[in-house]
Amino acid sequence: MSGNSDFVMVNERGWRRGFNNLLDNEFARWWRTRMWWVQTLIWVGMIGFMLGALLFSTPDFKIEDGVMIYAVFAGMFPAVAVVIIMQGVLVGEKKDGTAAWVLSKPAARPAFILSKMVANSLGVLVTMVVLPGIVAYVLFFIRIKAGMDPLLFMAGLGVFFLNHLFYLTLTLMLGSFFNGRGPVIGISLAFLFMQQYLIGLLPVLRYVLPWTLVVPLNNQSEVVVPALLSGQPIYSYIPIMAVLVECVLFVLISLWRFKREEL
Amino acid sequence: MKESQPPVIETRGLTKTYKGVQALKSLDLQVQQNSIFGFLGPNGAGKTTTIKLLLGLIRSTAGSATVFGMDSVNQSVDIRARIGYLPQEPHFYEYMTARQTLRFTARFFFKGPEKAIEARVEEMLHLVDLAEKADRPLKTFSGGERQRLGIAQAQVNYPDLLILDEPAASLDPIGRRDVLEVMSRLRKYTTVFYSTHILDDVQRVSDTVVILNKGAVVAQGPIEELLAGSEGIIYLIHMNGDADSALKLVQSQPWVSGIKTGNHGGETTWQVSVTDPLAAEAHLLKLLVNGPVMVTEFRRKQYNLEDIFMQVIEGGQNVRE
Repeated sequence: MSGNSDFVMVNERGWRRGFNNLLDNEFARWWRTRMWWVQTLIWVGMIGFMLGALLFSTPDFKIEDGVMIYAVFAGMFPAVAVVIIMQGVLVGEKKDGTAAWVLSKPAARPAFILSKMVANSLGVLVTMVVLPGIVAYVLFFIRIKAGMDPLLFMAGLGVFFLNHLFYLTLTLMLGSFFNGRGPVIGISLAFLFMQQYLIGLLPVLRYVLPWTLVVPLNNQSEVVVPALLSGQPIYSYIPIMAVLVECVLFVLISLWRFKREEL
Repeated sequence: MKESQPPVIETRGLTKTYKGVQALKSLDLQVQQNSIFGFLGPNGAGKTTTIKLLLGLIRSTAGSATVFGMDSVNQSVDIRARIGYLPQEPHFYEYMTARQTLRFTARFFFKGPEKAIEARVEEMLHLVDLAEKADRPLKTFSGGERQRLGIAQAQVNYPDLLILDEPAASLDPIGRRDVLEVMSRLRKYTTVFYSTHILDDVQRVSDTVVILNKGAVVAQGPIEELLAGSEGIIYLIHMNGDADSALKLVQSQPWVSGIKTGNHGGETTWQVSVTDPLAAEAHLLKLLVNGPVMVTEFRRKQYNLEDIFMQVIEGGQNVRE
């Protein structure tokens, strides 16, 4: 044994210890496996097919209808996929012992959580938001013979991402509390589909839940993404700010909880 | 062993309770530098709990532990930077190959250079004889191959302390022998703290042993002292002839502390406990052969670790050196 004098030692301190290595590993799960192209194929295919069929097979088509349907499809279905992908990210590693193995190395627990959050967010952004978004933009461009405002379209994609990020961080947080996949996926999906009911009970919740980012309520003007894509004024910026704050809160709670996790 | 050096591991009153059940009861432990420290006990004795506490994977209910003088709770990451750990059932990322697993592990310790990291990975693959399977996905690995990979990843950083939880449990006899050889070879460079229930392995390589039962230490000390037995020094004697008169003669010797008599296959058997082994070696056999008996067997009673283990586990006896 010649010792470690030939090496440059890792010298990150605090929460960053092990982060770069863990992040590389999480990126590898997305980009060096079939994950990225399977997800891309699903979402580009599904959103492209659905939107294409709507835009090019309906003679009396209205642009507002197309935008609304795109918002619902691109907002709701990928959110379900995000929950399915994320439900095993923490729970799976806790159950099969890889979390304990990784954290027996010099890696900080916040680095473990944040690497998963960052890598999965980027995977979701590219495969579920940006690439299907480009296809949607091209389809709208061909159908209406004039491009939508690219900046507003990008802003709309940003809100889609925020919507997905909400479910991503929510599922991550639940994974830090539970040791079984059932409660994590059950609570996340129940929350996703119960929002309309909750808002019906307490209308003020439309300002703090992500539902009205992508799905219209009875009043079709109270939904963020379609308004952005169509160049219409947004009914309120509060849902965007509230969901952003909630995402941060979910991550902070995950960090707090996972620090106490017995592995 | 260099007792004057500060211990690598030191625990004081380390206690862990799970839902009202004490998994570990006030453990006091000292592991000296460059020792091979065997941590013995039946299943559920608290061995893995102790290891997890040392690694900061779980939190103690009471007491404290230091590793390299650092607190196992507040300085856990710094401690782990100097440790290599093999879990009881190694679980790695199934989509990785053995080489990728070692590379991933190495990068927790080393930023670079790439060439040196690759050389270390290659060295570890050869150490555990996995070079030819280095690029196969782990989902195709057998239990023994996973265990060997576990041993390799635990050593990739040349740790100052190697913690092995049941390192030979799923290995065949050749694999077990190889692991023990690696441990013996590493003694020069590192301290090895390992848990096992394979008593033969402990007797072969350990210099210090702790036996744990139901969360409490029941025996502790250098292996040779434990093997000397808690009953003291005993000579086993088989003889024919007038044993009664020989008994009075032997009992009168000042270095004889007790004699247990019995009968085996028509022969009289004695277990003679002595306080002075040198005097016993010099005089005991002479007293008998010059007397009215014919000695057919004479030997000092030897203990093996299994005897000690069974004695303390089943007898609930405490042996602390």
